[in-house]
Amino acid sequence: MNILELHDVSMVYGQVAALRNVSLTVSPGEWVAVMGASGSGKTTLMNIIGCMDRASHGVVILDGEKLSRMAARDLTAIRRDKIGLIFQQFHLVPYLTAVENIMIAQYYHSMADEKEALQALERVGLQHRARHLPRQLSGGEQQRLCIARALINCPKLVLADEPTGNLDEDNQNTVLDLFHRLHAEGSAIIMVTHAPDVAAHAQRVVHLEFGRIVNDAPRAPHGISSGEPDKCAVGNMAK
Amino acid sequence: MFFEIVRGAVTRQKRKLLVMACAMTLGISLATAMLNVMFDVGDKVNQELRAYGANIVVSPRGASFLGDIYGVEEGVGVADKYLAEAELPRIKTIFWAFNIVDFTPWLDIMVRLDEDSAPVRLAGAWFSKHLDLPTGESVDTGAVNLKSWWDVRGAWLDDSDISGVMVGSALAAKRGIKVGGTLPVRFRDADGAEWVERMTVRAVFHSGDREDEELVATLAAVQKLAGLEGKVRRVEVSALTTPENDLARRAAQNPYTLSRQDWEVWYCTAYVSAIAYQIEEVLTNSRAKPVLQVAESEGIILRKTRLLMLLLTILSLACTALAISNLVTASVMERSAQIGLLKALGATDGQIYLLILAEAFVATALGGVAGYVVGLGFASIIGQAVFGSNVAAKGLVIPLIVVLALLVTIGGSLPAMRMLARLRPAEVLHGR
Amino acid sequence: MKNHNMFFRIVFCSLLRRRSRMLAALLAVALGGTVFLGMGAVYYDIPRQMGREFRSYGSNLIFVASGHALTLNLTQVEKAASLLPADKVIGLTPFRYETMYYTLRGVTVVGTDMASARKTSPYWRVQGRWPEKDAEILLGMDVAEQTQLYAGASLSLEVVPRTGEKFVKTLTVSGILRSGGAEDGFILMPLSGLEALMGEAGTASVVEASIAVPGEELAVLAESIRAGVPGIAPRLVKRIADSETTVLARLRALVYLVTAVVLFLTMICVGATMMTVVMERRREIGLKKAIGAENKHIAAEFLGEGVLLAGAGALLGMVSGWFFARIVSLSVFEREVSLPFFLVALTLLTSLLVTLLASFIPVLRAMDVDPAQTLRGE
Repeated sequence: MNILELHDVSMVYGQVAALRNVSLTVSPGEWVAVMGASGSGKTTLMNIIGCMDRASHGVVILDGEKLSRMAARDLTAIRRDKIGLIFQQFHLVPYLTAVENIMIAQYYHSMADEKEALQALERVGLQHRARHLPRQLSGGEQQRLCIARALINCPKLVLADEPTGNLDEDNQNTVLDLFHRLHAEGSAIIMVTHAPDVAAHAQRVVHLEFGRIVNDAPRAPHGISSGEPDKCAVGNMAK
Repeated sequence: MFFEIVRGAVTRQKRKLLVMACAMTLGISLATAMLNVMFDVGDKVNQELRAYGANIVVSPRGASFLGDIYGVEEGVGVADKYLAEAELPRIKTIFWAFNIVDFTPWLDIMVRLDEDSAPVRLAGAWFSKHLDLPTGESVDTGAVNLKSWWDVRGAWLDDSDISGVMVGSALAAKRGIKVGGTLPVRFRDADGAEWVERMTVRAVFHSGDREDEELVATLAAVQKLAGLEGKVRRVEVSALTTPENDLARRAAQNPYTLSRQDWEVWYCTAYVSAIAYQIEEVLTNSRAKPVLQVAESEGIILRKTRLLMLLLTILSLACTALAISNLVTASVMERSAQIGLLKALGATDGQIYLLILAEAFVATALGGVAGYVVGLGFASIIGQAVFGSNVAAKGLVIPLIVVLALLVTIGGSLPAMRMLARLRPAEVLHGR
Repeated sequence: MKNHNMFFRIVFCSLLRRRSRMLAALLAVALGGTVFLGMGAVYYDIPRQMGREFRSYGSNLIFVASGHALTLNLTQVEKAASLLPADKVIGLTPFRYETMYYTLRGVTVVGTDMASARKTSPYWRVQGRWPEKDAEILLGMDVAEQTQLYAGASLSLEVVPRTGEKFVKTLTVSGILRSGGAEDGFILMPLSGLEALMGEAGTASVVEASIAVPGEELAVLAESIRAGVPGIAPRLVKRIADSETTVLARLRALVYLVTAVVLFLTMICVGATMMTVVMERRREIGLKKAIGAENKHIAAEFLGEGVLLAGAGALLGMVSGWFFARIVSLSVFEREVSLPFFLVALTLLTSLLVTLLASFIPVLRAMDVDPAQTLRGE
């Protein structure tokens, strides 16, 4: 079963069509990069997949659940259970420490567990920064914290919107290394970027232009990992 | 360019500016209302306290008060000295004439209601006498206003009604006198001749004082019965006064011991002793004495009321100032992203302060004017509801308000400016 | 259990780590609390306190003999006094009027309890000093003027006692009394002194009482004495009692209105401050929603913050409000303020209500917002 299926999805804001008849399928464990110029509809696509917006037309199926007809309340539940979000601008709760920022995601999901949150931090190499506030962290550290937060509830799909957009090269590489490890553990990743060198790390690159998919090509050599991971990636790595 | 930015901020940020202006309106309206009420409350309460009755009693010089308070036997040696009724309108021509609220003359004689019962006092007074003053004004004055606490069953007498009489409630109860009945009033003059007048009972009154055992008739009727035409025994005066201070106390002992300067201050202040002194000046051979029971107590209550209002005003002004600066701070900080952008574009701290202040002042000016008008409304609502009269808008309030508004605006902008100066544009723009 | 911990952690951190903003909100709530409690306490206390001030007008209840008797029996008066609330009685002063003769002219001599008269007639002014011994007297100002006698002089009065021969007694003038009233024409001496001269102790012509209770209550007291003690007719001094009631009602209405206006405006300011503080947090709400918070989570967090803020603010406000009420009470009425419990509870409740209401309106609006839009940060 595919982790994500889009059939003929369109998104219209007033007169402007941000997405036009987009169809896209993502298999479990696949790493997809979405590329395109500003205004090509990348962010709109991410919002629809991330359950933050509903498509005007078409069908969206995420891990077997049909999103198009769902109420906002149910969308929140789906997002919480199945998706990990990573933003270009990090978006951390400014008054909570690093570990608390992870625990808040656990709290909304099910149960806050400080030990588990600390393990997640360790995994992204931030164990020594656990008690710092976001403003005391560098950009790269903040993004790593975001990744740790996105993964804490074992999402089926990780959505990253320009995850390296605000980072220098060193930090960009650190973040991409984390993505590689995630991928190796079997998480599906959809990553929006406009940088070809970042997109080059993905298995498959989708090009958007004026709201349409103009090119959808696998970037072969890595080979598609077989089957769905049956255990939580974070859990695995912590062991 | 600067003005264009300000104009842009003013015209395009209507909502935020409106929030600030509204806060200012609220605060200034409160301050205006409180200050106006505070400055006026003394006069208002003074008016109310006038219901306590006369605070000055004028009697002929040399006459001792041998009438007594509680209806004990008439003392021996009543001086046969009187004041002239014709001179009374002069009371309304003294320096503080405007402060004389009411006055009424009294003439008491002892009469009997039948051959052998104990004598009863019959007092003659003005009730609502119409006077045309030499100044061209005219006033209505008399017991109706001065004895406002009397509970009258029936109607107050008319000043031209020389056959009517009002009977005190205790006397009426003792003798079974009813409104509408007639009463033979017998007066024995110094020569022992007896005069009888049949008078009609127009009203029975309850005063809670010794008058409850007495009869009250018009001054003309009593003068005629006693053969004392044009004469009065004493005059009760009710005047608006300023609470006494040391100067007034010294003057009350003996005004001639004051220095020339003190004398003038005293004479031109509405102290009860100064008003009494001025009444003595216009009435021949008179002695005007402040009734300390009323004058002193009024002073105390006025002072307390003013102090109370002053403290309440200070509290509310402090609260207003704090609340508004709080709001101004919040609304300036809300715009930190915008300010960060300006800084990124190369604005200096000075330019940014100026911008913030200019905007704040536009909001303050708008809100301040609106607030002043609304505040006058509040003040008159309070005046109408509490005292049944408008609270006068005092000019002194306006500069006070302006100073307050400026202080609050600057005070409210300061913390915001300090914060914005420390702001690094990158942080703001990246929303950290 | 652990999740509760996390909830409190979020709420506390939000309050403690956003110090400057929360301080603004706290200050606003504290101001509201100050006004509410301070003015409320003053409003509540005014009739009591001002009532005492009005007692400077002198007695508001007098006792005279009922029926045909001319004098009051003081033991009966004591019985009547026991019917009055002891803590409200400012003073109870007997006056006994007698006629004596000075150079063959009659003068009224009043015997009274000097200490008590100073309380019931605080407006009396004495030049010289108050009498301390039985043979010392106060001269009314008019008497002093006619006799040309002043403090320190002595005065011989011809006394006609109830029983026995008339005799002449020499008394010392300790001071001159000025009241502007009938007392100016009297001679005053201690009651015990008058009793020694005239014989027949334990009577009075009239007893003046100054009682710090409002008009209606006074009428009830008078009625209970009329019914309960024979031989005494209590009379309200209507002029004083009535005007006092009117002026007090006006003052109370004034403070009430002023309090209402100030409170109304303060509440609006508190509300507006809370609103701006919460409005800034739209982005944070969007983020929390993006990482999976439901509306109930967000509502609960703001509710928690609001309760804490309102509680702390109200506490702070109550302390400063109490100080304010105390300052007013001490400087205006020279008395400690009394703080009824219901006022404290009401302050807490109002602060809570206003704070929650003011923070909830913007939260509700923010919750409708798409997380996607707030996060983009435009």
